[in-house]
Amino acid sequence: MLRYVAGRLAWVLVILLAVCVFTYVIFFQLSPDPAVMICGKTCTQERIETIRTSLGLDRPFFQQLGDFLRGIVAGRDYGAGANLVHCPAPCLGYSFQSGQSVWEMVQQRLPVSVTVAVGAAVLWLLFGILFGLLSGVKEGTWWDRATMALALGGSSIPPYVLALALQYLLVVKLRVLPFPAAVPFAEDPAVWFQSYLMPWTVLAVGYACLYARLTRANVIDTLAENFMRTARAKGLGPVLILRRHALRPALTPIVTIFGMDFAGLLGGALITETVFGLNGVGKMASDAIAKNDQPVIMAVTLLAAFFVVVGNVVVDLLYTALDPRVRITAS
Amino acid sequence: MRRAVLSCAALSATIPLTLTACSGGGTASAQASPGAEPATGGIVQVLEKPDFSHLDPARGFDGGVNNFYRLIYRTLTTRAAAGPHSSGTKIVADLATDTGRPSDNNKTWAFTLKKGLFFENGSPITSRDVKFGVERAWDPDAGIGSPYAKQVIAAPADYQGPYRSGDLDTIETPDDRTVVFHLKRSYPQFASVAAQPNFTPFPKGTGAKAAFDREPIASGPYRVASYRRGSALKLVRNKHWKRSSDPVRTARPDGFVWTFGLDAATIDERLISGQGKDINAIGPKVQPATISRLRTPQLKQRTLTGVTGCTTYMSLNTTKGPLRDVRVRQAIEYAVNKQTTVDALGGSALATAATSIEPPSIPGRDATDVYPSKDGTGDPAAARRLLARAGFAKGFTLTVDTRAAATEQAVAVAIQQGLKRVGITVKINTIDTSTFYEVIGTPSQQHDAALTGWCPDWPGGTTFLPPLFDGRTISAKGNSVLSMLDDKKIQKRIDEIAAMRDETAQNAAYGKLDAQIMKLAPIVPLNYTKNVVVVGSNIAGAHPSISYSGGIDLVGIGLADPKK
Amino acid sequence: MATTTLHEAQQELPPGPPGAAPPGGTGRRVLRALLHDIGAVLSTAFLALIVLMALCAPLISALTGHGPDTFDSAAVDNDLGGLPKGSLGGISGDHWLGVEPQNGRDILARIAYGARISLLIAVSATALTTVIGVVLGLLAGFYGRWVDQAISRLMDFLMAFPALIFMIAVLSALPAGNRPLLLVIVLSAFGWPYLARVVRGQTLTLTGREFVEAARASGAGSRALIFSEILPNLRSTIIVMTTLAVPGYIGTEAGLSFLGVGVTPPTASWGQMIASSVSWYQVDPMYFVIPGTFLFGTVLALTVVGDRLRHALDAGEAS
Repeated sequence: MLRYVAGRLAWVLVILLAVCVFTYVIFFQLSPDPAVMICGKTCTQERIETIRTSLGLDRPFFQQLGDFLRGIVAGRDYGAGANLVHCPAPCLGYSFQSGQSVWEMVQQRLPVSVTVAVGAAVLWLLFGILFGLLSGVKEGTWWDRATMALALGGSSIPPYVLALALQYLLVVKLRVLPFPAAVPFAEDPAVWFQSYLMPWTVLAVGYACLYARLTRANVIDTLAENFMRTARAKGLGPVLILRRHALRPALTPIVTIFGMDFAGLLGGALITETVFGLNGVGKMASDAIAKNDQPVIMAVTLLAAFFVVVGNVVVDLLYTALDPRVRITAS
Repeated sequence: MRRAVLSCAALSATIPLTLTACSGGGTASAQASPGAEPATGGIVQVLEKPDFSHLDPARGFDGGVNNFYRLIYRTLTTRAAAGPHSSGTKIVADLATDTGRPSDNNKTWAFTLKKGLFFENGSPITSRDVKFGVERAWDPDAGIGSPYAKQVIAAPADYQGPYRSGDLDTIETPDDRTVVFHLKRSYPQFASVAAQPNFTPFPKGTGAKAAFDREPIASGPYRVASYRRGSALKLVRNKHWKRSSDPVRTARPDGFVWTFGLDAATIDERLISGQGKDINAIGPKVQPATISRLRTPQLKQRTLTGVTGCTTYMSLNTTKGPLRDVRVRQAIEYAVNKQTTVDALGGSALATAATSIEPPSIPGRDATDVYPSKDGTGDPAAARRLLARAGFAKGFTLTVDTRAAATEQAVAVAIQQGLKRVGITVKINTIDTSTFYEVIGTPSQQHDAALTGWCPDWPGGTTFLPPLFDGRTISAKGNSVLSMLDDKKIQKRIDEIAAMRDETAQNAAYGKLDAQIMKLAPIVPLNYTKNVVVVGSNIAGAHPSISYSGGIDLVGIGLADPKK
Repeated sequence: MATTTLHEAQQELPPGPPGAAPPGGTGRRVLRALLHDIGAVLSTAFLALIVLMALCAPLISALTGHGPDTFDSAAVDNDLGGLPKGSLGGISGDHWLGVEPQNGRDILARIAYGARISLLIAVSATALTTVIGVVLGLLAGFYGRWVDQAISRLMDFLMAFPALIFMIAVLSALPAGNRPLLLVIVLSAFGWPYLARVVRGQTLTLTGREFVEAARASGAGSRALIFSEILPNLRSTIIVMTTLAVPGYIGTEAGLSFLGVGVTPPTASWGQMIASSVSWYQVDPMYFVIPGTFLFGTVLALTVVGDRLRHALDAGEAS
């Protein structure tokens, strides 16, 4: 077991390293000269050279890559002499646009993204599993068909279309919700809840529909298995069967998928945050993309990859704990 | 001077939705309550999209940040506050007792500081602090803002600012209150130069390593109480500022709070609905979609329009392909439909079709349109005749450089549609916003045409026509003569006008030169932009300023009722 | 988005190994099943309409007299920031679906030309994904050992990438160039592992099955084994995953255009239309309702068809 965990962790490091190298090559080698972009509008050749030296862009590629990786692990120094700036670990560099430490920017905005992600996850788990269970138990009824048709529709609606539609209906026409704004919870819990309700919903709808369909399929499969027939033969009612025997096997696969979806949520949050103007990591990424602010784009990409990879490992380990069969095959 | 467009670009680059925004002018609509006298006290809220470029006045140089600087910094001279009867362009004394005393045919300028001037820490402001502040303009890292000090004041070629090279001998401080500048050449408008943000005093030796971008040292009525880059900035009163020493700044509110990083649509929505603290708020230029919502009397009363003083134009590279023929360029002048470019910028409320290079806010401007057409929709027939004579009756392909921002793309498409009428195929070359000015300012990289804008650094032809059309200043990098026009007659005229002693005669001569340049068709003036803002219902003393992109002059703003 | 759909397709695939149903007759049976399903028929009809619109886009322009890029300044109110004149976003006998604010471009023409771009990109990306996914999946599953190791590690690596964020980032970093082509390449680069993983798994199972063993014993070469024994048995899997990939790619392409890294103006694209309608939704809701409806409808129709197709094929295998 210990060897298995160690192996997985080593794999995480390899993947993250590969992601680092790959993103670094793409951003710092293929896109426009960072020195020119930092230099901006009142620029001279001399100033470009100064910037190149202070960023270490005049060094060979592998040394630059080494500097970048070392910066993440141990911090690094920019410039020399009077202009020396120390960037503590995890050093992701400084924004070309604002000159702010990228790690600080991430820290400032992460709470908003986490709020969006956690709220959405709660919503989609709740509704997805609930409707999936009900449909699965009542397979073939009009309720089942209506729910599944709705789920198919819900998973087809692009999040930004849904966002605009909701905003138009609920904010502009019916005026039941305020214009979305990242109001801190401490300031006014009621307004906080109201202003996050739409972003949560928009992010959750696609997943909720998918989860409803998956849960339904799992429930139907489980109910058809042999041990269920035994349980029914024992005279147990459908609700009791579901609670005692079917729930665990039907929901175990959901755990796996949930772990991966949740870890990959930064991508979805990007659109949701952009549409609703919420100042989270996703919005930061889309702003950075609009201005070609490479260090910020790099940081968000790495962060997102980190979540995905770590999420995968957590899921693996959790799955091993939940389902003894995996342990045997793994060792 | 040629750097003006680039510094102007500093703002445009950070606000994707404005095509041009730099300094400029406008007139206040004073009938409504936003123009009333403000009361003392209260906090003004400012809702913004991007953060300021720099809090260090040697680094920042665009309409938005120049306006903000006046709240925390003072300069030797400054512009009069915008008001019901003031457009906010007149140069008046600020730290100095007057607007400067020239001698030696405008080559030496002396200023005397007022008594009772202090920094926020209570130490007095002396002539040496002014000298130190100006010297920072030569520092290769810090001096990236207004270029005028470096261009006009004499200095050794290897001077690199106070941190590296020490004192600059051409700025003398005979006593604590006198500062004397020795210039490279006669410069009658030096009083305007002394109003540039980098004429802000700082205690000698401070401000290395971009310290002022985080913790500025205030000399104006407010100081920075807290600053979180990208999200919020709070100003409180600077208790060492003396109202009696400052006739320009009324400084009615007790403080200001900026909120950055807001979405343009969110800002418009918040200002229109005006809930809670938003009644004390002001914001940036509204979006085109918001214009149609400002029709109710209540909102009309809270809407202010200022002229930015900028001209949006398309440069025509006179050294490339068919554009070498003046008739082809003239044909393009006729073929463009300026009205559709106005629509692309948000319609008549936000822009008007241009007739000359200089916008109406420039004194001495001559409005004559060398290529007239009905409502600026163009004259395709005239264009086709010119093209036929030049041997391009079948048209040709024209590559237009443009920034990767929605508004610029819309203007580019409007140009494309206009030129299609005469058989010219426009290829839109989209350049990343962050490198756009770098690319088009490099003649070896720019294509046939570029969509950009120009704003004067003070009203007058001096900072408008020479930087754009003096072919002797064409350079391999950072070039502002995008047309590459190298015409001896125009250069001779520029020199003659610069030698004039009288500013009014000078401006009138520039007005005539405008038409003379237009006959050569090196650029297509597209439109003059306007700034429309909505203010909160409790805002008073709000007057758009000709000097700050048509934005509300912050030195006069306040609240009608500070208790709300 | 692409990943979600594929991910979903993969989750819902039949758990057991694919059966060796004889190819003959399946097509007709599936067709019959689909014809009996109202959802599938309606969806197919809608898709036919979209394809027809895309093909006949120049015809539509000729009929209405409005090209996709032609301005109509008379249709918008210059004094109101360019708001379309008339109600419902300027819907009139002249402009059947109204006009865009600020420039008066005809929305019907732009929807039709936008459909071309959307379909072209989605179908090309699907084709490329299918080729790469099937080839690499087969190689990994059939040859095993180091080939499998190399391909599987590459898939793990690509799937560890936050695909959407990375696509946006890559597209914004690369020079403008030929956008549609770039989009196809980027979409495929991150899409193929989802198909390849399934193909690999099924190939692995099939290679061990009796009929393959038997063929191998009777002296069939690797090529014969792959093409005549394994590939035909993967057919339904590939059909289902491919059908479900198309709506995913349409959604992703629109999303990328929405975020400003898709096709460049003035090329019409649904995602871009929705993006520019964001600031107008309060005063001109039709500007987002129309492209939004077309996008939603197309994705839904394709998903329904894919879903029903899978059910029909599953039913065939179960019998």
